Parts: sequence; C-alpha cells; structure tokens
Amino acid sequence: MNQRIIYPTDDGGVAVIIPAAECGLTIEEIAAKDVPAGKPYKIVDVTDIPSDRTFRNAWEYT
Amino acid sequence: MATQVTLNSGSVDSAGSLALKTNGTTTAVTINASQGVEFNAGTAALPVITTTGDTNTGIFFSAADTIDFAEGGVATGQFDSSGNFKFNSGFGSVATAYGCRAWVNFNGTGTVAIRASGNVSSITDNGVGNYSVIFSNSITDANFSAVASSSLDKVIRVDIYSTGAVRVVTDAATTDASIVSVAIFR
Repeated sequence: MNQRIIYPTDDGGVAVIIPAAECGLTIEEIAAKDVPAGKPYKIVDVTDIPSDRTFRNAWEYT
Repeated sequence: MATQVTLNSGSVDSAGSLALKTNGTTTAVTINASQGVEFNAGTAALPVITTTGDTNTGIFFSAADTIDFAEGGVATGQFDSSGNFKFNSGFGSVATAYGCRAWVNFNGTGTVAIRASGNVSSITDNGVGNYSVIFSNSITDANFSAVASSSLDKVIRVDIYSTGAVRVVTDAATTDASIVSVAIFR
C-alpha cells in the first residue's frame, strides 16, 4: 500500500501506521482497527512521510 | 415391514444405510442414512482411505474424534480429539506442532515498510527504534512467545505483550534497524 495512517501520540509526537498488504483489509478498515480508540487520524500518501528520520522523535501531528 | 435387502457383498437396512462387505460378513464401507460415507478405523499399516498400489499410505482413525495419517505403514501425522495437529517431520515421533500465529519482516529505516507478513494488519512506527506489530486476529491470550531479531549488532527487545499487538524496541530506542523480524508462537 502506498498510504500511511498518522495519529498523535500522548507525548506530543506522531505515530505512523504502515498497513500490511497481505492482511486483506482496506486502509480505512486498518485505521478503524489499529488506531487507538479516541485518537484523531489522517490517511496520507507515503510520500508525505519524510524518509529522513534524523529527527524522527521531533515529528509532530498537524 | 422391514426393508432390508441382502446382497452378495452388502446390504441395505431399514434405515436406508447401504453396507458394502468384503467377505459377506465384514462391513468395509457404509453409506449411511445421512449420506455420509463410513469406513472402518484402519491402522497405520492398513489405512482405510488409500490409493491403488500404495495401500500402506493414507488415512486411518486410531481413536474417537481423531484423524491419522500414515506413510509406508508408519503413522506420520494426526489431528487429535482436542484439535491439536501432530506430525513427525524430522522430530523423531508424531508430536504436537505449535504454530506461528503471526510474523512480520519489515524495514525500520527510511521509509518504513513491511516486506512480508502473516496475521499482521499493520506495524506502527512509534519513533526511533520503536515499533508496534498489530495482529489481524488476536492471540488467545498474552502468554505467547515472541521471537524478535534485527540487523543491528544491538539489543532488540519485545517489551509490551497483549493479545492484539506487541511492541518491539531496537537498541533501547536509539537506532532504527533495516531488518526487523518478529514471530509469535502459541
């Protein structure tokens, strides 16, 4: 899948969900299942996620 | 009025079951009133469901609620009455095989991506060297064994176990790993 799901973490960072292609679920179904309850989330294109992880822990959810 | 009909090598009883006999007395196969086909139990040496020219290889039934497999007259596999699958496969005897309930191999660097997986719906990139593996179908309980490895010459640990996910940390969450593998056994 060329999409990712992002949601804010409790410490102010951002978590990125990488779907498993083999699971047979849609990105929406994975979001409904794997995003912690009550968390807002966005489905984004994989190219929207930086591949440079030098400052990964400083990423924020906007 | 009874409707039993005796044949040369079989019979149809009043309940509508057709029995085929091998020597006029021993029932080999019965087509029962529920349209099921019944076989004798058989043995490993003489399985009851077999093939022409290889009659010591096939399926037999060693006990109630049990399905057995034989090859060359030797028992090699079994589904026992508790649903356990047992096989030899080089173990030395027919013993219960404990299944891998979920597994994943992913790249934790750059654009984090799953290479291949089974019973995993997603992984979560929580930060540097910190990933969660989320199962498609939950494990029965959290007392499973999680085996993890990475391409780093550093410690990898699984520090959170739940029925729906595990969390994996590489190098105390200070370094990403290009290869992270996790397998769940129960």
